[in-house]
Amino acid sequence: MHHDQGIHLRSVCKTYRGRGADVEALRDMSLDCAPGSFTALIGPSGCGKSTAMRIALGLEDYDTGEVRIAGHPPAAATAAGVTGVAFQDAALLPWRTVARNVALPLEVLGRDPAKHSHEIAKLIELVGLKGYENALPGQLSGGMRQRVSIARSLITEPEVLFMDEPFGALDQIRRRQMNVELQRIWMESGSTALLVTHGIDEAAFLADYVVVMHANPGRVVEIIEVPFERPRRSALYSAPEFHALCDRIAKVLHGE
Amino acid sequence: MANRAGFLRSATFRNLAILIVVWEIVGRMNWIAGGALPGLGEILIRLWADRGDYPGHIWATVHASVLGFVIGNFVAVSAGILFVLFPTLLRLTRGFNIAVFALPPIAIAPILVLTLSGMAPRITLAALGVYFVTMSATVVGLSQFDSRAADVVRAYGGKDWMVMKLVRLRGAVPDILSGLRIAAPNAVLGAILAEFGGGGRWGLGTYLLGSLGRGDPARLWGIGLVATLIAGLSYLVFAIISARTLGSSRSVTLNTALPDADDGAARPLALRLAVIAGAALLPFFLWWAFIKATGVPDLIAKTPLGVLDYLFLSDTSHVARAKLFAALAQTLPITAVGMVAGLGFAFLLAISARMFPGFIKTFMPIALVTQTMPLVALTPLLVLILGRGTSVTLWITISVTFFPAFVLLVQGIQRVPQSVLDLPRAYGASAWTELRMVSIPAALPYLFAATRLTVPRALLGVMIAEWLATGTGLGNLLNQSRGYLDYGMIWTVAAVSVCLSVAFYYAILFIERRTLTRLGMQTVE
Repeated sequence: MHHDQGIHLRSVCKTYRGRGADVEALRDMSLDCAPGSFTALIGPSGCGKSTAMRIALGLEDYDTGEVRIAGHPPAAATAAGVTGVAFQDAALLPWRTVARNVALPLEVLGRDPAKHSHEIAKLIELVGLKGYENALPGQLSGGMRQRVSIARSLITEPEVLFMDEPFGALDQIRRRQMNVELQRIWMESGSTALLVTHGIDEAAFLADYVVVMHANPGRVVEIIEVPFERPRRSALYSAPEFHALCDRIAKVLHGE
Repeated sequence: MANRAGFLRSATFRNLAILIVVWEIVGRMNWIAGGALPGLGEILIRLWADRGDYPGHIWATVHASVLGFVIGNFVAVSAGILFVLFPTLLRLTRGFNIAVFALPPIAIAPILVLTLSGMAPRITLAALGVYFVTMSATVVGLSQFDSRAADVVRAYGGKDWMVMKLVRLRGAVPDILSGLRIAAPNAVLGAILAEFGGGGRWGLGTYLLGSLGRGDPARLWGIGLVATLIAGLSYLVFAIISARTLGSSRSVTLNTALPDADDGAARPLALRLAVIAGAALLPFFLWWAFIKATGVPDLIAKTPLGVLDYLFLSDTSHVARAKLFAALAQTLPITAVGMVAGLGFAFLLAISARMFPGFIKTFMPIALVTQTMPLVALTPLLVLILGRGTSVTLWITISVTFFPAFVLLVQGIQRVPQSVLDLPRAYGASAWTELRMVSIPAALPYLFAATRLTVPRALLGVMIAEWLATGTGLGNLLNQSRGYLDYGMIWTVAAVSVCLSVAFYYAILFIERRTLTRLGMQTVE
């Protein structure tokens, strides 16, 4: 087991016991994300990719196996503030302004938001929301809310960054723009990133490694390396080698 | 000013103006019950003549209501938070909570006066009036939090109390505020009722009681209007505050996450039975503890055992039982008939609402105003108009059940999506078919909820009428026992009326659960 700043899951099993039927959400799942790498988890609904991420965040228990986040068990890692997270839905508190929503993790970790006002302002600027510091979530568009959520995930200067379909609610055009921005933000932060996604092109554009999962039971079937140079530009979306890689991922996804 | 101009031209305003003019004419002509309904002008003139009396009385009532409101809500919100953090506590206190909800305030006003002194009975009754409403609003508000936002807090290692602090408490504010809105008039009603049963010099209830014998309709109406105005204003204050905060508190997107399944059924049977038994016994234990804590002598304050002794074991028990049964035989039938009539009328009017939308639109504001009118102020006015016979009891029961049931039913039917209502029409269904297939089934859960909610009000209405006007039944027995210093009977009537109210509540809940489960519907809280 590695004890570096990356994400490591070793032979993790998780079964949901319901009335009548048990669902094997994860069977013998292993995953290694090297420090500073960007990994994408892709798979159909119900393949356990979100479960894997929730386990890594300490939001759910697992039956057997071992999990190390930046060298710690999940609960210890999150409580120490080394992780950052952005969910599929922005999940902003509707009564807090943009700046106070970004500051939420600091409050949970018992740090003083006032001492970090400079970082908060810088992050809001980084995600392109300068001038909206005191706006309420209800006054923002879906894309803007998602950016607030990204800024919030970075406020603790996390060594490990988790994202669960952060742009799932956006349209294709908006999503591609956000992907370019996310790459920039992530490169500046230098953190280890794990992205859970449905989008093949999103995974291929952002990740160093694409981990393909299948359902029933949830398991990893193949890990595909993405060879493109960084920073990747939006022109990459039209490149033939990009499409070839996407086709390869799709084939693995569909089990061909 | 566009809004104001719009209001002046609106149908509501026109109807209101017509109502006031008709009222004035009818009043001036003494057409109703030989002048029992004075014109608004006459009432206002009387009010002006009495202006020296009002400030003292209003101050006393407002003082007790506000204190009771603050204390009751503080307890209610704290209890709500505890119940959400420790659900077993909620199950354990269910009997107590339902008892507080269902108790007819007029029945326990005399026992509060016996055990507490000074302003305390008024404050306690006002606090009891707000407790249940605010407590349940708090529990509902804290339970329906955004699970995604809670995930964010937990993902940074936040524990349950951190989720409570950052997500749930603030998220519950709109619910708590709408609870306070309903609770505020209750506090006023509670204070006035305690003044009724408790002597003392000041307070609108005292003033009302003192003016009852003078046979001056204009003054009684004046007091009734002032009491309604105070209750209405308190409602309005919280309505405005909650309208201001609501906009920024609603979640921007819809949470599609599935709620966790309740694992309550997984507990061992013995434990569940223990909790149920505890819940049933707790109110009686609290009653006993309350008496021991106040230190009132046994002769005046009866414990649960004292009441049993009075009813079954002492020498005069058979007399007491005979009196009690005679009173119940008078009170219960009239309550049942009034409730059935009120609920039936409300049901018919609500399901036909789609056929007369204009009428409903005019009628709704009036129905809402009656919700804030303190029942006790209304009763003497109805007595003036209807006399002291059985009909006044019946009308009071009908009116206290009809209005809340109507409001609840109309709101329930309004929640049916338009497309569901349109579907039968699209297949050429008649209005009757549409009613039968959509509106009536849709209104059913709300009819049950309305029945549950109005049982205590109906019993309260009947007892007030009996106390003030007809001189029959439980209300009269309570009033007489006060005069005879028959302490055992005072406690007995209080205990029996609370137990009856709770028993009715559970009986309806039982039928409701069975019926709705068979129909695949959810109960309405």
